[in-house]
Amino acid sequence: MSVQARNNVVVKGQGPLTLVFAHGFGCDQNMWRLVEPAFAGRYRTVLFDMVGCGKSDVSAYDVEKYSTLAGYARDIVEIIQEFGEGPVVFVGHSVGAMAGAMAANLSPGLIGAHAMVGPSPSYINDLDYPGGFTREDIDALLSTLENNYLGWSSAMAPSIMGNPEKPELGAELTNSFCQTDPDIAKRFARVTFLSDSRADVRELSGPVLVLQSSDDFIAPRAVGEYLTGVIADCRMVVIENEGHCPHLSQPAACIDAIQTFLTHTCGHLSA
Amino acid sequence: MSVEAVGIPDAEALYQQAPCALVLTNDKGLILKVNQTFCHWLGYTHEQLVGVRKLQELLTVGGRIFYQTHWMPLLVMQRSITEVKLDFLTADGKVTPMVLNAGRREHQGQVFDEVSAFIVADRIRFEQELLQAKRQAEDALQRHVVLERELNRQRELAVDRALFAEQMIGIVSHDLRNPLQVVSMAAQYLRSLDMTERQSTMLSHIGEATARSQRLINDLLDFTQARIGQGLAVNRAPVQLDRAIAAAVGSLRLLYPHRDIVFSASDEALFCHADADRLAQLLGNLVANAMTYGDGTSPVEVRVSAAQGTVEIAVHNVGEPIDEAELGSIFSPMTRGSELGREVRSVGLGLFIVSEIAKAHGGVVEVVSSALAGTTFTTRFPAYASAG
Repeated sequence: MSVQARNNVVVKGQGPLTLVFAHGFGCDQNMWRLVEPAFAGRYRTVLFDMVGCGKSDVSAYDVEKYSTLAGYARDIVEIIQEFGEGPVVFVGHSVGAMAGAMAANLSPGLIGAHAMVGPSPSYINDLDYPGGFTREDIDALLSTLENNYLGWSSAMAPSIMGNPEKPELGAELTNSFCQTDPDIAKRFARVTFLSDSRADVRELSGPVLVLQSSDDFIAPRAVGEYLTGVIADCRMVVIENEGHCPHLSQPAACIDAIQTFLTHTCGHLSA
Repeated sequence: MSVEAVGIPDAEALYQQAPCALVLTNDKGLILKVNQTFCHWLGYTHEQLVGVRKLQELLTVGGRIFYQTHWMPLLVMQRSITEVKLDFLTADGKVTPMVLNAGRREHQGQVFDEVSAFIVADRIRFEQELLQAKRQAEDALQRHVVLERELNRQRELAVDRALFAEQMIGIVSHDLRNPLQVVSMAAQYLRSLDMTERQSTMLSHIGEATARSQRLINDLLDFTQARIGQGLAVNRAPVQLDRAIAAAVGSLRLLYPHRDIVFSASDEALFCHADADRLAQLLGNLVANAMTYGDGTSPVEVRVSAAQGTVEIAVHNVGEPIDEAELGSIFSPMTRGSELGREVRSVGLGLFIVSEIAKAHGGVVEVVSSALAGTTFTTRFPAYASAG
């Protein structure tokens, strides 16, 4: 099976520098639909779906391999090796950003810089570390997610109600966007909310941009500040946004911040 | 034509009392309008919600994550969501599952999310029972798969062991032929010497035992060849069947000097293509069988006949019929009459080899057995092998 088919890799833009976009927990590469086109004119843009999400090849879902973030990171290394040109800029959302950090450490030189949207290396409070949740919170969350069977399956293939104005998604996508096998969603939730990537982010050497939402219940501001403290070369940009998906709700601000980062910090990177 | 609506509550009253929760929020989730049904279900007053609380703040922690990771992206991307289940918390902290539909609309330049919801407590219980049943079924399937894998492994081991045992039989019986040959030749040499009567008797015991051992070993060799190799090898050549069988009967009479063997042929000069040695072996095994299981006083009959290109060799004995339950497996190796309390005469390969010889000639062997008619084994095969 090809890497392309396994991860539904799509190469869109062309340019001397490659941007690889990784989605987080929930949904798929369509999450970048409002951001990626802004870069496709000047950069080589690569999008993909994590195995088990979107239009990835579900038959490639190996329970053992994907029981930790390392399995996803190995896939990312293979995607960049095949579709990246020179050191790439890895644009990752949430857990996708952490898989990118792990991939950077697995294969040094592959990723030149990271733009992290709503990243959190660990969700559970630990001594001085302010993850935002207690272990009990996370256990309750996981059991809620595990019991929300219909929430994962049928509701994720919604039909359009009434007469929606300007749907951002083409009709061809409405039935696959966010649609996930409930069993895989359950496992991915465990990987996402129980992993601890703090050691991985501390090792990052390339420049890192953290796009922090002003009000994000999943990745609170204290976590963004923690990252700027432990990563050698890290800057944080706070976006006025409520929620965990500023790339959907405040795409223009995200595009500006990423573009500034690319122009001022990633000039040395190109194929 | 229109029906005049007399006494129908106005739209606002219908909204407030609707049998489902109706909520209007801005695109951040802030509640802008809510009906009494929703307030009543969650135990809040209108004032506690409108302009104060966001929809997502009324959810459990799991519900809020789901809202952030799925609800919000779906609303932004496709502007509508249907049938999403979310757990709400009532004012006094009770979990209340609801199923929600939502649509995003613009009105005078502002974005609004319209949400309808209803409580699904009973459905959730049913759903959870279904889920549990599904999990149990999956567990059972998993156990079944593991078991099947183990069975297959055991089966492969058993097949390996059986193959090894059969090869062992082949090797041992082959290696036993040489020492037996030496015993047989030495016994023959001793026959030319002067001996006492007692010595002579002992010598003929040695001769008979050696001959029997050789037959058993040949049976074993044929068995392994039939089982492991490509079936029994036969060399078909032109044979005058009546003569060949008559000669074989002659030899058998020497082997069973105290028993009658009656031979008859339907015609003289019955020609066919067959392996005469193998047919003699076939006849020997059938006659041995008849001697063992027949009544011991009546003659054993051997008949040869031919009709329409098929030749037939039948061996008949009088005596207790073969048990019906045994007829089906009588030609399988290691099968022998179970009623016998007497000395066991062979390891049960004789009839298996008979059927293999018949098969190698493109034919079959059948058995008919009854108290009245006795037992008849009939071998039939085409007189001439068809080309190929």
